[in-house]
Amino acid sequence: METLIFDLKKQIIEALNLEDITPDDIDTNAPLFVEGLGLDSIDALELIVLMEKKYGIKLEDPGKSKEIFRSVGTMADYITKNRKK
Amino acid sequence: MIKPLAYNIVSPLGFSAPDNYAAVRRGESGVIPWQDPAGTPIVLSRLDREKLQDAFERQCKPSMEYTVPEQAMLLSASLAVAEAGIDPASARTGFVLSSTKGNIELLAIPDHGFGRERIHLWHTAGLLTACFNNQNLPLTVTNACISGAAAQIAALKMLENGLYDHVVVTGVDMASDFIVAGFQSFKSLDPERCRPFDARRKGLNIGEAAATIVFGKADGKGISLIRGNVRNDANHISGPSRTGEGLFRAISRTLEELSPDDIAFISAHGTATPFNDQMEAIAFARAGLDHTPVFSLKAHFGHTMGAAGILESIIAFMALEEGIVLPSMGYEVDGIEGALHVSTATVQSSKKYIVKTLSGFGGCNAALLYQKHS
Amino acid sequence: MKKIIAYSRITDTLVILNGKPCEITFSCEIGPGRLAEIYRFLEVNYPKFFKMDNFSKAGFLASEMVLRSLHYDMESPDESTSVVFANRSSSLDNDKRFQETISRDDYFPSPAVFVYTLPNIVTGEVAIRNKIMGETSFFILESFDAEKMMIFADWAFSSAGTRRVLCGWTEYLDGHSDLLVMMVEKESDKGFDFNKQNINNIYRT
Repeated sequence: METLIFDLKKQIIEALNLEDITPDDIDTNAPLFVEGLGLDSIDALELIVLMEKKYGIKLEDPGKSKEIFRSVGTMADYITKNRKK
Repeated sequence: MIKPLAYNIVSPLGFSAPDNYAAVRRGESGVIPWQDPAGTPIVLSRLDREKLQDAFERQCKPSMEYTVPEQAMLLSASLAVAEAGIDPASARTGFVLSSTKGNIELLAIPDHGFGRERIHLWHTAGLLTACFNNQNLPLTVTNACISGAAAQIAALKMLENGLYDHVVVTGVDMASDFIVAGFQSFKSLDPERCRPFDARRKGLNIGEAAATIVFGKADGKGISLIRGNVRNDANHISGPSRTGEGLFRAISRTLEELSPDDIAFISAHGTATPFNDQMEAIAFARAGLDHTPVFSLKAHFGHTMGAAGILESIIAFMALEEGIVLPSMGYEVDGIEGALHVSTATVQSSKKYIVKTLSGFGGCNAALLYQKHS
Repeated sequence: MKKIIAYSRITDTLVILNGKPCEITFSCEIGPGRLAEIYRFLEVNYPKFFKMDNFSKAGFLASEMVLRSLHYDMESPDESTSVVFANRSSSLDNDKRFQETISRDDYFPSPAVFVYTLPNIVTGEVAIRNKIMGETSFFILESFDAEKMMIFADWAFSSAGTRRVLCGWTEYLDGHSDLLVMMVEKESDKGFDFNKQNINNIYRT
């Protein structure tokens, strides 16, 4: 799980062009949206692409995505249970 | 003010403006089942390539090969120009192209054989003037989905400033894999035919079309384009402002001293995305237009991007000329918070003005004001 | 008489503000890396910059230089300023990038890349940064044309309430920059005349 969380943070930084941020700067359980990293709607869509590209998980329902993307921790949980790659 | 002397629409509903208008009156749609590049079923409004090529070759008698968007553009412009009875080669005739992505499909075909410059919009515009042996430099407007309105505003300024006596404004865009894939990644496509302003709306349908208006100076008869304005939300590059800021300002600047009671209807942008339609309703209400009948044409044609502002204006001012308000296809259940008068049936109106609105990526918004002279 | 009250020029090798070259020493080769270097040299503090495509970054930086030099008020909504840009290549630089995300064997269309496949987005980015609610427009020309730029600016000025136009040629393709962004004011006792000769002079620097 530790490796997944670290890799996921690196992938998020790369996919969302978060300059000057390292995996250590991202709190695993902090909110990703509104506060924390302050991600927006386009970032949410990019995270959906990331889930499919890296982990083979297709997210069709934007409503469910909100819960999954609440924090890096919730993302990692969901990936662990549903990954196809 | 300026006057549409002739106009044309090339869409799945027909290759003339009257044919398209009649199809809209009959409640027809060009939206059909299709697939996105990943094979996922979607719907979109698609031109029949063979019918288009046939009509293009008969009308334009080309001596070289043209891409699909070029065929649609040249067919539409050629038919409109012929009807207008103007001299398209004259130095006093200008050309404006409205398109968001033009020949973008060529990016997917490395050895397309059309040359390196073919992908550029200025090249596409050059083919337009070349078709008519016109020596003027054409103008290309590319301002996301409001391009068609921006192009008409440019024509208005050109004619009012005496730069030309006639301006041919043509818009074209295709439902390329590039565009379809992009909107799919935004999850903003409805898998079925779109439902503007409806509670069940899920997103837009992409459409392809070309449309042309040949403008001349107004003569106090028929239809005139009075003015138009563009304003920015200054909020987000892809999401509309929650307060309808830019659209409200564009409408206010365009209405000027006119009362909302003078407006027969608004031909809205109405893309059927959850946010766009709500934002438009807020902007209309802020401008005092909450009781003015509103319709969207997107369920008939899909969202035709660079062609939309021109195509939808044509249908709108044809309805104004006929003295009717069109129903908003795809709308059954109210899906808007706050007041909005969505037109649900064809009704007569004796009012003399209409407003056409559009909004686009980049936060831009446009409003045009058309008048019918008695 | 309309006046150019501030302008910037960015090419592959030069960054100029109001006629003075900025003393920036590039450590990267000519290419997109230089845009990040200009960003840091100007001490812009705007993390959203890194989400933009390279074409928008270039246009944003050229605009930022002009607006900051004028101490432009970024806080108050302003409908009296317009942003009118033109170029030759549209957003082709980034269009190619999006095309890569939809190749047959590796099909993962990127929304963050797609949103920048329209050249007018950069006018939106400038508007968002500076709360500019006036007209934003984008035109395509085969090559830089001072006379056309003046006409575009005139059109923007003719929209009710417009007093300033941020008017620019924002060409960027395959790592090469060719930008000239001018703030034109309708009535001013500062700056110099917004005419064809002056525009060509500052472009040809």
